Amino acid sequence: MTASDALSRRVFLARVGVLGAAFGTGGLLRSDVAGAGPLQLPPVGVGTLQPVLAELARDTLNGLTTFVVPGPDAYSRSQGTPRTEPGALDAKATDFMIQALDNFVPLPQELLRPVVTGLATASADLGVLLPLELQQLLPDTVSRLDRLLGLVLADDETLPLSLVIALLLNLVATQVNPLAINGPFLSPFARLSYADKAKAFSLVEGADPDIVGVLDASLPEPLHESVSGLLRFVGGALLEFPAFGSYSEWAVFDRTTRTLTSTPVGWGLTGYGGTSDGWDELKGYYQDRTEVSD
Amino acid sequence: MRDVIVVGAGGGGPVVAKELAARGLDVLLLEAGPRHGSPRDEWTHFENDANNPLTGYLRFGPGDRDKPAWFRETPQNSFLWQLSGVGGTTQHYYGNSPRAYPGVFADYAGPDAGAYDTAHRFPFGYGELVPYYQWVEATLPVQTAAMGTKEERFFDGAETLGIPVQTTKTTTGASFRPQENAILQPGGTAGRTRNTDELHYPAATGCTFCGHCFQGCMEPVSAPRNQFAKRSTDNSYVPMALTADVWALGGKPVTLVTDAFASKVHTARRDGSLVASGVSWRDNSDGSTHLEDARVVVLAAGCTESPRLWFRSGLPNPNDWVGRGYTDHFFDWVVGSFDEYTGNSKGVGSSARCDFPGYGGLENVGLPPALQAFSLALSDSGIRGGYGNGRGATGPWDGPAGRLIGPELKDALAGNADNLLNVLVITDDDVEAQNRVTPSVFPADANGPVAKVTFRQRERTPRTLANREYLVGKAVALLRGAGARSVYRIDWAPLILHVQSTMRMGQSEADSVLDANAEARGVRGLFIADNSALANGLGGPNPTLTTQALATRTAEKIFQSYFGGDPWVGDESPVVSTDARVSTRLAQLGL
Repeated sequence: MTASDALSRRVFLARVGVLGAAFGTGGLLRSDVAGAGPLQLPPVGVGTLQPVLAELARDTLNGLTTFVVPGPDAYSRSQGTPRTEPGALDAKATDFMIQALDNFVPLPQELLRPVVTGLATASADLGVLLPLELQQLLPDTVSRLDRLLGLVLADDETLPLSLVIALLLNLVATQVNPLAINGPFLSPFARLSYADKAKAFSLVEGADPDIVGVLDASLPEPLHESVSGLLRFVGGALLEFPAFGSYSEWAVFDRTTRTLTSTPVGWGLTGYGGTSDGWDELKGYYQDRTEVSD
Repeated sequence: MRDVIVVGAGGGGPVVAKELAARGLDVLLLEAGPRHGSPRDEWTHFENDANNPLTGYLRFGPGDRDKPAWFRETPQNSFLWQLSGVGGTTQHYYGNSPRAYPGVFADYAGPDAGAYDTAHRFPFGYGELVPYYQWVEATLPVQTAAMGTKEERFFDGAETLGIPVQTTKTTTGASFRPQENAILQPGGTAGRTRNTDELHYPAATGCTFCGHCFQGCMEPVSAPRNQFAKRSTDNSYVPMALTADVWALGGKPVTLVTDAFASKVHTARRDGSLVASGVSWRDNSDGSTHLEDARVVVLAAGCTESPRLWFRSGLPNPNDWVGRGYTDHFFDWVVGSFDEYTGNSKGVGSSARCDFPGYGGLENVGLPPALQAFSLALSDSGIRGGYGNGRGATGPWDGPAGRLIGPELKDALAGNADNLLNVLVITDDDVEAQNRVTPSVFPADANGPVAKVTFRQRERTPRTLANREYLVGKAVALLRGAGARSVYRIDWAPLILHVQSTMRMGQSEADSVLDANAEARGVRGLFIADNSALANGLGGPNPTLTTQALATRTAEKIFQSYFGGDPWVGDESPVVSTDARVSTRLAQLGL
């Protein structure tokens, strides 16, 4: 890897949130001399990076679910749409998304693998200005972090789809607003305003060529043409699913007893009267007609 | 060697199975998903538990809910709402059972004959199908629906449209009416109380107005399975098929095998013709494979899976029409917000409709909150106030078309679970070769190459696009006439849920897979009995009843052509599926 390649790879890792998350959690990258020298990566393994990436995924999806159903939380405030009544996070919509994405979405690994390879090897140099401490990272530090990321993404058993979605949303977020590479939260997507999150979705749903280019770079024929269709589908599903989950009983459903442990957030928000074996709603027959002729 | 193997226990397959079992044939009915034999022990009324397409008990996947759902490729923003399991999508349907418009049949000569998809008519006349409609309507049975509050509101609006009330089964012009529903109408305490203790069968009979059609019907409490209110095939035709020996003279119960995913239709050469000879399937639970031979094979796996199985089996496709011509009624969704109570979450899913022959129709749809939120978030027009995704039309509705997301979604739903009224726009959409099922190039699953379902929703025919706009205008007028304070047009992305015509029968060999008897043109002894066999989208009416009428006709054709029998529809009286003999026998069998 040339110095130029390393720099653009560094920018890419920052854009998808990995660099910021590794730095932001404070556990992985640290300064060698009491905060003075460049950040360094201590000798750690995949097992140390995984929880960092899981936090990045969760943070990104917090930014997503509160975009769809905002509430009285920091993410909703940050995007500029604070609410006083409960929202997605109160309905545990992020957990709903992570559980669904990581355990039940039947995307075949043979498809996911090359898409992830695209994410794992892409570089970017779209004039994004990195924060000073990330600029100062030594090339060796970046390449070691990169190798760890590659190991995580290469393991079929541990590759969570929630992380892949998070990397995608963060990549798009920094395309919409390069300044999102730095700020509160771990995730660049979570740092966007409500309007910028909508712009990000317009790129996903519109199958923006730059994003398609990253994702299908490693796809073999005949999958090569499939990414834009997949993006259009994912762009819709990522808005529909948090809406469904936030207003459903998922967070308070006890699967063993098949009962609720408390009133679902969405029921309270909508004034839904709850489930029942019946209602006194019969209003008779229109024009009193109970049957029609042939 | 079986007489007949039916692949798929959804809306159509059990009809053929039941009819031929009643004639004493040895019928094997295969279903890829589970049979929910004891809904009170397996189901709830909760939306995620029931309807989550990845994990719900009503999903497209194996019976074991800890295993992932089955994958399909949909290369566009869309949602393909398939279900596996006995009953298929009738498990979550609303029982709406209108007949097809006469204008979509071969012999139609009314003054509006040119207003339909004239290039893709049924290869016979409407009158030919009427006796089969009557037979199915008596068997399910289909009844005129009672109203809840949301239907009263819908009719308030419909009365302002200047169209008459329809009082016949056959639709002859623009009109509105209560739905003809495959739902037992309320009796006793049903619809008159919210106290569960008072809603047990037989104090309550028929529909209890619970509002949970989409979560699967198990009302009234303690009713025999074949007397549950909604007549999904798991409550009607399948119980009859399993008990054919007690209600049909000389009847023979079908053999039902569940969690059995058909993997191949086998064929042989006989007298120079290709003939169906059997079916092999894979057991979802242990991965074992099985093969049985049969004199006749009936595919009823649905509009997406029947073509998939055809491709996987390497069956002939000389005109390249297998999987093509997918119609989905190009739905749209128009929602009114009211100051007063609408009863949106209660009562039958839909009991009121408008018909506009030549254009399609409208119906009211009641939803609980999570599905309501989903319905507001599914759009091809981006996010209102954010981006239009190249669309976002304005019109008589309020603001641009598009999704409600964020603050607007919350405001629209706030305290409004029972103050909304949804109108489903059901477009009379043309059969188009470009909308189709093909084998996906994505990696295969345990059941072979998965289906790829492609809809080019923005490039549909001018007639289809114009029909949808016409109906949206009617929907908005209806909601405003009913007193809506605000009206949203969502411009749904394809919600592929009314599915038709991917293995269509047709007048021309050039653009159809089946002949007028629903037998494959290229394979003798291979019939199709699901919605894919329909010649077109029926002009807009909900497809299940017509598929069931056609499947009844197909059963007669099979019995005549391959078993030397005589037809029975028109000569005999149908047994209603609620028959007490069926109830008693089901109890004896522990079913």
